[in-house]
Amino acid sequence: MNDLGKPVPSSPTRRDFLSRLLKFWSLVTVIPIGTAIIRYVTPVQRDVDVRESLRVASVQDIERNTAKIVRFNKEPVIIVHTRTGQFKAFSARCTHLGCIVQFKSEGTPHFICNCHGSQFDINGINIAGPAPRPLSPFKAKVDKSSIVVSRI
Amino acid sequence: MSRFLPVASSVYRWLEQRLPVASVADYFSKKVVPRHKHSFWYYFGGLTLFFFIIQLISGILLALYYNPTQEHAYESVRIIINEVPYGWLIRSVHSWSANLMVGTLFIHMFSALFMRAYRKPRELMWVSGVILLFVTLGFGFTGYLLPWDTMAYFATLIGTEVPKTLPIVGDWGVSLLKGSGEVGAETLIRMYSIHIILLPLVALFLISFHLILNQILGSSVPIGTQVKDPPVPFFPNFLYRDLISWVLGFLVLISLSILAPWGLGEKADPLASAPLGIKPEWYFWPLYQSLKIIPPTVFSINGEMIVNGVLGIMSLFWLLIPFIDRKASIEQKSRPFTVVGAALVLYLILMIGFAYFDI
Ligand code: HEM
Ligand code: FES
Repeated sequence: MNDLGKPVPSSPTRRDFLSRLLKFWSLVTVIPIGTAIIRYVTPVQRDVDVRESLRVASVQDIERNTAKIVRFNKEPVIIVHTRTGQFKAFSARCTHLGCIVQFKSEGTPHFICNCHGSQFDINGINIAGPAPRPLSPFKAKVDKSSIVVSRI
Repeated sequence: MSRFLPVASSVYRWLEQRLPVASVADYFSKKVVPRHKHSFWYYFGGLTLFFFIIQLISGILLALYYNPTQEHAYESVRIIINEVPYGWLIRSVHSWSANLMVGTLFIHMFSALFMRAYRKPRELMWVSGVILLFVTLGFGFTGYLLPWDTMAYFATLIGTEVPKTLPIVGDWGVSLLKGSGEVGAETLIRMYSIHIILLPLVALFLISFHLILNQILGSSVPIGTQVKDPPVPFFPNFLYRDLISWVLGFLVLISLSILAPWGLGEKADPLASAPLGIKPEWYFWPLYQSLKIIPPTVFSINGEMIVNGVLGIMSLFWLLIPFIDRKASIEQKSRPFTVVGAALVLYLILMIGFAYFDI
């Protein structure tokens, strides 16, 4: 027994109406709220002044048969000064699962990724390991003794 | 002592009028734990609970000094280790207990599988347990990045890329985990809030559910196993035994934490090549190793996609085992499930071994 006495008998039609209203209400609120939450947690691409090209280093910074990793529009880019004096640039992200690759100058110069052992030749082509694609290439050119990286 | 008894009994009377203490206590006192030749395995659920409680306490303490920003995370962990009194110990306990918790959880789960403890009427205990496994692995994954050292950084970089080959939701899943195009400040704050808010809430809810069901249904006895009479009353007998296992767990934990204090690598540098030996925690090694040995394409299907697919199907199968094993539910032997379980244990151990020896 509670202090409230007997419950008020509710009319079936009123209860029916209210419960249908409730179902409708749940539907029209759950969908927009769900959508809002999904949109909220999905990151938006803020445009951090995307550069077409960037002066990243001076020629003296990178000796022959060595490489340097620089940042170009949020992307780590590896610039190689080849034995023959050329400059080449690739995204330093391994195409397997995104680790940063490393330049190996011994023997035939190539790139390796230490995470699961992928290898890429000097032109960025995947030659061993689980990497499914070549490293994405960038353009590297020398302009007044500095190195300029740009998209291809 | 007896001076306090009148106070205690009047407190008890006060409570009894507002909360039916006696009937609740009576209810709990009826629970018994069966005795049989496999009873030993019953301790591992309790041990897992113990390590979880340790995680709660040590985690709340770490959160006092930890700073979840890209600039300060590493430094704040360094300060916890080197400057805060006993900070090194609290952190070492949190890291070691995380590992021990995963270990006891695996033992608990596989013993439940081999004893068919999931069979009717305990299906929901199995299902909540499997979700708790995912939650625990989630704790481990999100916690690993927090110190922001090289190992943490690259392991998270790889881990957040893993969903990428899932059909339709793959790219979205990756961006959801990273919070931006790359592992950075946004990733760290996401991992942190999942680690200390979302997962603890979910875990507490599921653990309560799991334990209440255990109270209602009692412990199962493997099919065809002879029970010894009489069973052990849960209170106080089995509880004392449980407490002894907790004391042993504590001794193991504290010895490891002091004798092998958890280290901290170099601060992560997003523009440095990944060093050799990047590995996740040991409980992700089976996944790590599978991703490492699968060729890029198998029958013109992407290798990672295959690993992800198998993992997804296995997880679903694992979750639904009580409903797939129809025989156990009618108290008949179901050998294939022992075979599947044993094969999985073997695979996990092999892969962990291979990863350990860098094969
Ligand atoms: C339930 C409440 C928990 C809280 C409030 C919490 C809080 C924290 C905090 C603040 C850190 C960063 C400090 C540091 O890196 O040393 C951390 C790290 C970590 N947590 Fe937790 N945690 C909780 C539970 C767990 C659980 C259940 C697990 C695993 C099963 C776990 C695994 C880890 C790991 C592996 C780290 C990284 C440890 C390191 O290398 O320092 N945590 N946690
Ligand atoms: S991330 Fe480079 S080989 Fe896996």
